[in-house]
Amino acid sequence: MAEFSSAVYQNEYLPDGGTDVNAIVTIVCKGAGAAGQTGSGDAGEIIIVDTSGSMGQVNMNAAKQAAMVALDHILDGTWFAVVAGNHKAYLAYPMVQTGAGMVRMDARTRAEARRAISFFRADGGTAMGTWLNLARALFASVGPLANRHAILLTDGENHNETEAQLDQAIAAAVGQFQVDCRGVGVDWQVPQIRKIAQALLGTVDIIGNPNQLGPVFAELMRASMARGVANAELRVWIPQGAQVQFVRQVSPTVEDLTHRGTPVNQLTMSYPTGSWGDEDRDYHLSIRLAAKSIGQEQLAARVQLAVGAELLTQGLVKARWSADTNLTAQINPEVAHYTGQTELALVIQEGLAAKASGDEATATTKLGRAVQLATETGNAEATAKLRKVVDITDAPTGTVRLKQAVDKADVMALDTASTKTTRIRG
Amino acid sequence: MTDEPWPTLPTPAGAEPRPATDGRCPTCTYPVTGYAVFCEGCGAPLLPTQAPPEPAPATGSARTRPLGAKKEGTPEPARTCAECGGAVGDDGYCQTCGVLAPAPRDRLEAAPAPWVAGVSDRGVVHHRNEDALALRVAEGRVVLVVCDGVSTSVDSDVASLAAAGRAADCLLQTGDLVRAAAEANEAVVATTAADSPNAASATFAAAVLEGAGLRFATLGDSRVYWVGESDAALLSVDDSVAQAYIENGIARAEAEEMHQAHAITRWLGRDAPDVVPRIGQRTLTATGWVVVCSDGLWNYASEPAALAEQVRAALESSEGPLAAARTLVAWANAEGGKDNVTVALARFEPSAAPSGPAPDDTGAAATLDSPVAARSER
Repeated sequence: MAEFSSAVYQNEYLPDGGTDVNAIVTIVCKGAGAAGQTGSGDAGEIIIVDTSGSMGQVNMNAAKQAAMVALDHILDGTWFAVVAGNHKAYLAYPMVQTGAGMVRMDARTRAEARRAISFFRADGGTAMGTWLNLARALFASVGPLANRHAILLTDGENHNETEAQLDQAIAAAVGQFQVDCRGVGVDWQVPQIRKIAQALLGTVDIIGNPNQLGPVFAELMRASMARGVANAELRVWIPQGAQVQFVRQVSPTVEDLTHRGTPVNQLTMSYPTGSWGDEDRDYHLSIRLAAKSIGQEQLAARVQLAVGAELLTQGLVKARWSADTNLTAQINPEVAHYTGQTELALVIQEGLAAKASGDEATATTKLGRAVQLATETGNAEATAKLRKVVDITDAPTGTVRLKQAVDKADVMALDTASTKTTRIRG
Repeated sequence: MTDEPWPTLPTPAGAEPRPATDGRCPTCTYPVTGYAVFCEGCGAPLLPTQAPPEPAPATGSARTRPLGAKKEGTPEPARTCAECGGAVGDDGYCQTCGVLAPAPRDRLEAAPAPWVAGVSDRGVVHHRNEDALALRVAEGRVVLVVCDGVSTSVDSDVASLAAAGRAADCLLQTGDLVRAAAEANEAVVATTAADSPNAASATFAAAVLEGAGLRFATLGDSRVYWVGESDAALLSVDDSVAQAYIENGIARAEAEEMHQAHAITRWLGRDAPDVVPRIGQRTLTATGWVVVCSDGLWNYASEPAALAEQVRAALESSEGPLAAARTLVAWANAEGGKDNVTVALARFEPSAAPSGPAPDDTGAAATLDSPVAARSER
């Protein structure tokens, strides 16, 4: 059985009249077990491969190999299906006409699925909403599953449906299954794919070289199968009269959860966190309280991780009002660090958007600030990726110039990695 | 379109979801639930006509169940928030307004008979209450015990509570003050971890009233006073540096302000030099009160006359000894509350012996015993 623990990092001291409490809550999961193997329900995996004409022979062959590698990492007994997508979605495997659209993995079904994948041919357009809708229907066709996860590979823009159709498909899939998205090549839109991944509690990344597809798919599937805890939710209790200003996941990536909550009761909101493997995640909460008098102490939030009705861990965020400015003036290092990392993600995305629209002045300012923040918070990966897009004159002040010749893949890599954060400990 | 094949599943621009009719799929008539978004029979999209059921029967109580406490057992008595009246959670904070509720150990109250009562309080400055008191009443005998856990030692709050309870029980049964101190010492030592670098320790002050006979014993600086209607006396002698100064001719007021004055020279605990208390007795002749208290009270009124003034004022303004004890604690806290505050009071009247039968009052003694019981379960 998985064991969860939590730790709270905050400065609980507020000055006279102070109302805002910030805290980082780290939640650690150990002993998660394998997806579908913990007795809490079966797991389901769907591999969605873009088979549009733009994939071409090289990408198509690489994608076929990668999909077969992914099959090898799906544990026996797991429900699975393979979807081929272009401007429509096709159930490539299992080859059923009606009824359950997924089958359990075993040696025979794995071999059959490989053969089905081998027939993929690049042809047609792209309508990712149809792919998501088919995946949702397939998951629904096998009844209740504990874990529901899909890998989505694409190479191009969503030409054959409207943005509204895609949004509708995403909205219908929220809470139904999780999707990790990967884009191959440079002809896909990062914000479009990020939108899918963020809403469906997955990740997004660029695969610059088709040779990397196999290892990436293997790793994605391995990670998914190691998430033995399904459908965990973050619950945040606040005192009567208090306000949640924001709730964000800040590690391993920045995800704003503030508006994704559903009420559990009058004082408690529940935010989806998807499935968990053996991992740590950090959350940043900001709570606004009514100020109390000097010397008083109160609870600002109870932060809990729950699966179903069971609470697995709880962290307490506190507030104590003090007249001692030595205590109240300190900013907790974890809070400061993640505040910087959150801004880093934002300025990278804003800077790249400005650059794409030709606003070089804004792009330079924003990406300069990004370089400054990445340096301050020790985010070496972000700094390295920024270096491929800007020439850094002086990192501490954020003085940069936009590079004139930039590889588009480097811009997209910076964009997809913008939400990845580093930790500080010790 | 029965048996719509999977590979050409309708896109959202194609078939629109339709509601079920009479609990059956409008496409294939397979039975479906009102909240299904797809037919389990043919996979056709359905328009739900009712809300999906809760994922699990998560009742309010299940949601607030203490973490890790899955066993069915003796439930903790529900506590109510003093600020807003909400329920206090297992984490000690109110579940409505979030205010920290005081721990039960922070304030002990006892009133085993209408003429016997005491209060032990955390005070203002200290973060926990290391004082303890135990009061017992039986036919012909009243027992008052106060122990003050030494705050530099580990778990002295646990030790003092155990010591007071053990000594009071011993005195109720045997009346033997030396044995009670020895048993209290055993209780302190028993709560001390064998490898504790800083062994728990506590003071000891006990008074036994039998008819007009008052016997008392102390170790450390918790005290026994007599407060008559017109007279007052400090009956016990401290084991403290201040007392050593006094014995060398320095006035009490001055001695108690001197360097290390509050350091005690004798105590209960594993590292105690000896645990034979100083013992005294007195035959009472006039109406008044036996007062046993910790230094958290007498710090603000050490001289017998000063203490007596506060005790009399508290008794006058309050209904009964429990209310008076509360008033005295509130007064010490208003004076600064720099230490834990404990006071126990027992009334003596020469005409009608106060330590009369009290068979009905054993129930009140349970309020004393409950913190002890709660502690031993930890």
